[in-house]
Amino acid sequence: MSRLNDFEYTMSSCNHCGQCKWILPSRMHGWDFSEICPIYKQFGFDAYSGQGLINIAKERMNGVLEYGDGLEEMLYTCSACGACDVNCKSVRDMELLETIYALREDCAEAGYIPEVLQETARNIEAEHNIYGLPHEERFAFLDGIDIEENDCDVVLFAGCSAYRHPENILAAIKILQKGGVRFRLLREEEWCCGGGLWRTGQRAEAEKLIRRNCETFGARGVKKIITVCAECYGSFRSIYPRFVDTEFDTVHISEIAAELLRSGNLQPKAQEKVLRVTYHDPCMLGRLSEPYVHWEGIIKPYGIHEPEKQWRRGEHGQYSAPREVLKAMPGVELLEMPRNMEESFCCGAGGGTASVNPRLAVKTADERRREALSVDAELLVSSCPFCQDALDANGENSIPYADLSVLLADRL
Amino acid sequence: MRISDTAYAALEAVVGAENISAKEFVLAGNRVKTPEIPFEYHSADAIIMPRSTEEVAEIIKICNQYGIIFVPTISGASVDAFANREGSILINLCRMNRILEINETDRYVLIEPGVRHVQLYPELRKRGWSYTAASVGPGGSVVSNFTSTSGDHHTQHANSRANRYLLGVEMVLPNGEIIHTGSLHAGSGWFCPDGPGPGLRGIVKGYCGSHGQMGIITKAAIAIDPCKGPAEFISEGISPHFRTRFESKCSKVYVYNYTDIRNVCEAMLRLGEAEIGSTVQKYFYVPLTLLMTDSANEFWQKWESGYREAMSMPLIVHLAPRSERELAYEERILEDIVAETGGKRLPRELESWWEDNMDFFMIVGRLQSVLRLGGGWMPVKLASDSVTHMGEIGASLGEYFSDYMGDGKLLCAPENYQIIPMEYGHFAHIEVMIMWDRYDQRSGKALAEFRARSRKEDIERHFHGETPGCLNATMEEIGPLWSDCNVWMRKIKEQFDPNNVANPML
Repeated sequence: MSRLNDFEYTMSSCNHCGQCKWILPSRMHGWDFSEICPIYKQFGFDAYSGQGLINIAKERMNGVLEYGDGLEEMLYTCSACGACDVNCKSVRDMELLETIYALREDCAEAGYIPEVLQETARNIEAEHNIYGLPHEERFAFLDGIDIEENDCDVVLFAGCSAYRHPENILAAIKILQKGGVRFRLLREEEWCCGGGLWRTGQRAEAEKLIRRNCETFGARGVKKIITVCAECYGSFRSIYPRFVDTEFDTVHISEIAAELLRSGNLQPKAQEKVLRVTYHDPCMLGRLSEPYVHWEGIIKPYGIHEPEKQWRRGEHGQYSAPREVLKAMPGVELLEMPRNMEESFCCGAGGGTASVNPRLAVKTADERRREALSVDAELLVSSCPFCQDALDANGENSIPYADLSVLLADRL
Repeated sequence: MRISDTAYAALEAVVGAENISAKEFVLAGNRVKTPEIPFEYHSADAIIMPRSTEEVAEIIKICNQYGIIFVPTISGASVDAFANREGSILINLCRMNRILEINETDRYVLIEPGVRHVQLYPELRKRGWSYTAASVGPGGSVVSNFTSTSGDHHTQHANSRANRYLLGVEMVLPNGEIIHTGSLHAGSGWFCPDGPGPGLRGIVKGYCGSHGQMGIITKAAIAIDPCKGPAEFISEGISPHFRTRFESKCSKVYVYNYTDIRNVCEAMLRLGEAEIGSTVQKYFYVPLTLLMTDSANEFWQKWESGYREAMSMPLIVHLAPRSERELAYEERILEDIVAETGGKRLPRELESWWEDNMDFFMIVGRLQSVLRLGGGWMPVKLASDSVTHMGEIGASLGEYFSDYMGDGKLLCAPENYQIIPMEYGHFAHIEVMIMWDRYDQRSGKALAEFRARSRKEDIERHFHGETPGCLNATMEEIGPLWSDCNVWMRKIKEQFDPNNVANPML
């Protein structure tokens, strides 16, 4: 049954003030790079924005709008980056992104989810990774590499990027080993985290996978998961608690690295040349990684939530650790893009957009690279394999890309 | 009635297929039925996004040819920017968003209507300039603020309302003719709003502001002033807990509470006589508490545990002179005036919130917090007259507001109005902000009843509180209070828009 009704208050509360489309006044910097919503920037119609999507959700809930005339593709132009949600919540008590998720579930339940996303689900079902590549090859990149694993309750979770970006995992392993951190890998027991299923509206499939993963973690006594991928990080923290009581902590490799650098257990080599770097905050590491807190209650007159609701406004995402790591590397000069931290502009690849509307994703990534170039950076750094796929490409604007772990590991 | 395929094709030929849509899900983005909208709900037949003045003119000519009603829209924040009858299209001006010129010699900026405050304000500050930004949030259209209704804003004590800063204008009339006003018409540039010949400012402002009743403004020059404070703001923290302090020894905010609005007005007039203060305003106490809290729940905790009483009638004064010596001088005058008018300074923990959030653009950029109580918000009385008269109107509210308060009615806040003097007290603006519960039909009914009563009281008392608005019925009722403006507005509208296609009034 559609969860749209759960967000009727949000749909009815919106006064179309436009805060979901524009950068917050506290971060304003000029005419350029002032939009915060990738699809509003691209299309211009109000429908393509957080405000527009909740209008659409309301009409779906009320049985006014039907799928079949392109609405289903339009929903996945949105990368569910959550910028609208953070901006809206700076002034309102509304659940904009949750409404968008519910709308996607509604689309899936109505049988209109785009084929390419159904294919991803089938890939995960068959091979436990989003690409549909053989499961037994998930850790093939480790063949011939000697890794010291410990019998401990800390797991390095490679994620599906093991297939596409094994260099990121190898860099993380090097960081952990150099820093003396005990860990192990789940190897053949590691399956996709399932975050993408949830974020594209495939709730039942996501739940099944999440429960399976948590059973595995429980059976193996996992108490802490280190992720290299921002999507996995955000999924464990903000999606898993919707279905299970997670009995493990999740940390991102940047948090471990920052701690190791702080304590002196990692000492990057000095560099002769200054490197001007800018950092792109992945949505699922930043604003969307805030732990999920379930709320159930009633909304009384004048917006009183009873019991009191703990709002997730993106304030407690991971913004500081990656920056601390970069600042600790000798010779690295960190330059901030105009849209950063909770106000970061999406790379365009998330939420199924890169699959359903690749041309739009490419344009959004190019806009982000243009922003990186605008601060005179010579290297764009991030911590997410999906952002990497989007940003590490050529377009009208090109800039070299590096994964944070790789950049650090290369200097150890 | 749907616009014809022929008309749609003609419109599409002007802007290209990607800039017009009649798809239901696209129309849904602007199909907003909020309880505040006092007219019947309709869907636009299409939404079109022109890029240039010439495209706007072509679109309007096609509307005249096919009898299509057009409603211009930019931010979508106004209830007047929606289709209010069948056979309408929305002309979304968001693609006309260029800052065309910043002229620091003649002190103006030339912009298109799609330029937003969050874009223009920092561009000007970087260069040491500022302008009278109104309280509509970062996504509000600058041109709309300078042309719609009055353009009142929070720093007008030391300058004036926004529409006084409107200079040369280019607009497309309801028949598709492109005109230039002020010095622009004489080929002398954008710097002057009037002459030679009759000033067109009143007409440019339109039938009831710039909701398109008199056509569409496609370029406007607005006057700019040297700014006080830093060129760039350094913000601390992560949303929603960011702070933007003015690191200036010449900027200080004082907040006093009063018990009698007449004393507030007296203080305003005397501050104006002394010509001190960058900002002087009697602020609403509900929004003030909302601005200081993170959620509706926190609002209610603070509101019911002393904020309401502590800030029942707050007078906010921002001193921002050019030197520390001047600041000391202004402080002494301020202290004397407040002591003689009976104001009491707020405790430091309340007053410091303002210091942490200067400047006023930042504050008004968060003013959407007023919607946090479920979105039920309605400004009533938006007029301007003398400071003393605004005080009389404010005081009169207490005589009948209580009839509409209580369970299932309006939020109990009879002093929830603001008065902002302008031009050092020569004039002032009032706004009463009614907070109501959108989810209680009784509350909606109480809102309608209060608005009717508010109009009736103004008519009976000859108060300039209510403005004519954009509904014919309201215009006819209130117009006589405003020199029969309804008669003149109707005549002008008929003359300029013979086919009645430019956002006709209901």
